[in-house]
Amino acid sequence: MANRVAICAVAQIKNDPNLWHARFQNMLLECFEGIISQTNVSFDMEKGIRTVLTCSDDVWDARTISDNAITDVVGAHFRGEEKIAQESLNGLGYAMACILSGHDDIILYMGHMKESQTESRGMCTNLAFDPFYCRPLGMDFVNVNAMQARAYMATSCINEEHLANIVVRSRKNAKKNPYARNNAIVNQDDVMKSPLLSDPLRELHYYPTTDWAFGMILCNEKRAKEFTGKPVWITGFANCIDSYFLGDKDLTSNFTLKNATERALKKAGIKGLKNNFELYELCDHAAYQLPMWAEGIGIIKDGDGGKWISEGGLDECNINISGGMLNGNPLLLGGAARVIECFYQLRGEADKRQVKGAKRALAQSTYGAAGQHQAVVIMEV
Amino acid sequence: MALEYDKKDCFIVEGKLALPYSYFAGRVGSTFITTLRDKKKIMGVKCPVCNKVYLPPRQTCERDLTDIRDNWVEVQPAGEVINFTVVRYDDKYLPRKAPFVMALIKLDGADTPIVHILDGVSPEEVVIGMKVEAVFSSSPTNNILDIAHFAPKKPEKVYVSQRKVSAKEKEGGQPISDEQKLKQERRKEMSKKVIITAALSGAATMKNQNQAVPYTPQEFAEESYKCYKAGAAMIHVHAREDNGMPTHDHKRIKDTHDAIKEKCPELIVNLSSAVGMGKTPEQRISQILYVKPEIASLNTNTMNFSIVDRKTGKVFIDFIFENTFTMLQDFGKAMEENNIKPEVEVYDLGGLDNWFLIAKQGFFTKPYNFNFVWGVAGGMEFRPDMFMVMKHAVPEDANFTTCGVGTEQFPAVTLSCMVGGHMRVGLEDNIRIPTGELAKGSYEQVEWAVKIAQILGKEPATPDEAREIMGIKKQ
Repeated sequence: MANRVAICAVAQIKNDPNLWHARFQNMLLECFEGIISQTNVSFDMEKGIRTVLTCSDDVWDARTISDNAITDVVGAHFRGEEKIAQESLNGLGYAMACILSGHDDIILYMGHMKESQTESRGMCTNLAFDPFYCRPLGMDFVNVNAMQARAYMATSCINEEHLANIVVRSRKNAKKNPYARNNAIVNQDDVMKSPLLSDPLRELHYYPTTDWAFGMILCNEKRAKEFTGKPVWITGFANCIDSYFLGDKDLTSNFTLKNATERALKKAGIKGLKNNFELYELCDHAAYQLPMWAEGIGIIKDGDGGKWISEGGLDECNINISGGMLNGNPLLLGGAARVIECFYQLRGEADKRQVKGAKRALAQSTYGAAGQHQAVVIMEV
Repeated sequence: MALEYDKKDCFIVEGKLALPYSYFAGRVGSTFITTLRDKKKIMGVKCPVCNKVYLPPRQTCERDLTDIRDNWVEVQPAGEVINFTVVRYDDKYLPRKAPFVMALIKLDGADTPIVHILDGVSPEEVVIGMKVEAVFSSSPTNNILDIAHFAPKKPEKVYVSQRKVSAKEKEGGQPISDEQKLKQERRKEMSKKVIITAALSGAATMKNQNQAVPYTPQEFAEESYKCYKAGAAMIHVHAREDNGMPTHDHKRIKDTHDAIKEKCPELIVNLSSAVGMGKTPEQRISQILYVKPEIASLNTNTMNFSIVDRKTGKVFIDFIFENTFTMLQDFGKAMEENNIKPEVEVYDLGGLDNWFLIAKQGFFTKPYNFNFVWGVAGGMEFRPDMFMVMKHAVPEDANFTTCGVGTEQFPAVTLSCMVGGHMRVGLEDNIRIPTGELAKGSYEQVEWAVKIAQILGKEPATPDEAREIMGIKKQ
């Protein structure tokens, strides 16, 4: 079992469809002040924060070195500073590396994304593809995910009703989450009649355009008590990346997620999921991904997704009580949103949506097209 | 909870990232792209250890880390669909207007499928397992679009020598009926016929250019009769006022139409739905519906339709000829509903594609009749290669005629006649005969067209034969 790292505090703004009147610097400052007021952490180079880590993306921010725009508001000037332009959950892995190596005691980790800034989300994700084999074809995360959806729905007997139920439930759960994007409550019929986006994905099957920012303080075990009486421990982290070309991989195999989960569990010294976890937060960019990732981390067997949804597995296993990414978190930050929900739940601070007796949670995130990159973190109190 | 900042005086900066760049495709990628571009071959690489054939090719097998960069194998340009989606949103980076099909296609001889666009099939008809083949781009793109797209695989070619008389006979069924035989023979006979149209006036040719341009109904009737006697089967009409101005006046147009029909009842009168410069859509279509000719022109694209000095390039009159999709649709529908055959005016390939798009609505009745128009300032100059492209682009069973402005008139109609199309001449398009002299009238150009037909072994169609070919119901 590896050494553990504490999350001492989290802060966030409410997920919003279009924060046009707030710069992302403003959004981060709100979170930054939230962190400082909760922890009184200092920027003393001996005893305080020596390294600040941020998560953002150049293309989405429409400037290179996107962290350059925000180092002042996150207190990064005159100290160590690093940015990850990768799914935000991986920032926890980076922070753990800084802390467990002994180079840092405390890491301030902040992230932002304003999806509303771009004219077209597809135009941004199209740039994730190489310029001559894939990009000219118009590949983007939506149409590539759609192909994964078609393949997965066939192997796991997922039908339109299942997908509709996932969306309906996500919206309902999000109503209990004060930080969730405000979305209309929908019924099964609304979802099934929602226009097709890229067959078989419908508009309501896909997460909506969202702006959001977050912050968190991570700290070594020894000093955690200086900042909180209720640390949440990260006991396992792993990620895994699949082949780049879509045709190189089995779109339904969940190879990378299985690999990441297995390694994260091993680090945490946990044998299997059964009876060991009270809740799971999974990064569902699209409705089909919720049962698919549930298969990937091993809550259910491969191919059982449809049956499991029909039998009420999502509620029984406390999957995405927050509303999930499907209700609206920006790309890149879905993982941080999952971690933050687990943090509240494990501290018993999730109010109306509190899972009773939550002691251990698993947060997962994915990035790239069709779940190419997967990351898993195990959190405990 | 939600951020509620002051929203007064907030300024949004609109910007755009546009970054030209060059990108080395890599040595493996370079070979792939250039072989695809220059030889129309799709190359993969095979791992000698695990025997996997990778497409797109790469330097190293990711499974066993074997260096595979030189182990090229050619894969087939055909394969099957293993997954697909129908992209139903439009965006600037997408290569097609929605909806279009994006598919994972496993080519024969490759182990890894590739993503590509699937055209030539409606989204509803795509199924997993469908056999498809690559359609190579006619001009280089230097990326994967050197395969322009994939399309459903055509059945294997059957050579004429192997073909039986009919499909039914092949299956051991009944031979074709006498009635069918008669129809076939009739079709063969009619293929020798060429329809000559005389466009007497247009909207812009004036008497000061050629005295024979008709203005009054009586002049139209006289000119039409002469053309009929010379061998024309159809007259194309833009009616004029006495002072020569093109008119949308219903009565004047009807009088002109009726005068021709009275003088020469056999002739087909083809009315213009363009009328002249600056006419509203309503003025353009209402006169057609009022007069109800047997056939009328239907224009396919909004374009420059200007008067420009051919020698100096100086612009004399600039004019936008408006033919929106809605007009193409509404005019076309109105004509079909009133038994008026549309003659589809095609000034460039885009216009033809516009017609194909609207034709998807299904209201145009066969046979379709196209007129390829050359030499309009704003359209295309006559080029034989382009003519053939247009001929091949129209449906196989469609009719086509052609007209060309000025000296392009006779080369265009000659080629058309040679390759199975029809001919339009007349003072609307050209005021001279091939010798360079002013034409005595449109009829003199008809005489020249008849000569061309005879040289090419064709016969001018009578008006009734023209009706049969073009699918016109005599009124």
